[in-house]
Amino acid sequence: MTNAIRREEFGEVAVLHIGTPSVDGVSAAAIEAACANMRPITVLDFSNVSFINSSGISSLLKFVVTARKAGYKLFAMNVSPHHQKIFKMVEMSRFMPTIEERDLAIYR
Amino acid sequence: MDRVEVHIPSDPIFERVVRASAGEIGQAFGFSVERVEDLKLAVSEAVNNAIEHGNKRETGKPVEVVFALDHEKLEVRISDHGAGVGTLDFSRHVVEERNLEEGKLRGFGSYLISALVDDCEVSSSQTGTVLTLRLYRKG
Repeated sequence: MTNAIRREEFGEVAVLHIGTPSVDGVSAAAIEAACANMRPITVLDFSNVSFINSSGISSLLKFVVTARKAGYKLFAMNVSPHHQKIFKMVEMSRFMPTIEERDLAIYR
Repeated sequence: MDRVEVHIPSDPIFERVVRASAGEIGQAFGFSVERVEDLKLAVSEAVNNAIEHGNKRETGKPVEVVFALDHEKLEVRISDHGAGVGTLDFSRHVVEERNLEEGKLRGFGSYLISALVDDCEVSSSQTGTVLTLRLYRKG
């Protein structure tokens, strides 16, 4: 799968723009591949994501695990209200809090 | 009662077909945008369970999904042709530090199903499992 992630980097920050509308079992491998190049502050941008299921959550947890092992900070950005609800239900938000795009300005 | 049937091979890519159908049917039933998203996710989880744990990804075994609509509810029946399941654990399942450390990153599907629909029931035998989801028209 191509263009699953578009990467933007500045200083210690990597913003990973998820390009696939479905974060599910089909797209999981392509998304997880970006785990290999995380930065001390890594932000997953969900602005193009319209669907996430439990297979997708599992792939996102790979980022959580990688960040914890490396001592990095992981954030989510542009999460829809529905996906915020789902993240809250499974307590994903404890490990990947949301950040506003404007909060990244200080790093640019 | 209106019925829509969708049969797919046990390949995860075709789960997206059922999910799209669920979205259209939920809209046609008059559900809110949020409720349609709940429906799509619950159906997605159920179909993936049928593909992975029921039919073990044997593409020759179909997953059959029936949407039945009446004036009070939308019922979705997801059937596989696997060897059956003992029980399905619908209890609350959240991300925990211990599980992260042990690499246990899966297992949220059944909890999400039970939390997102109004009721669900499982019927399982040695010839397959049927999971029935119901979402009632509210208000």
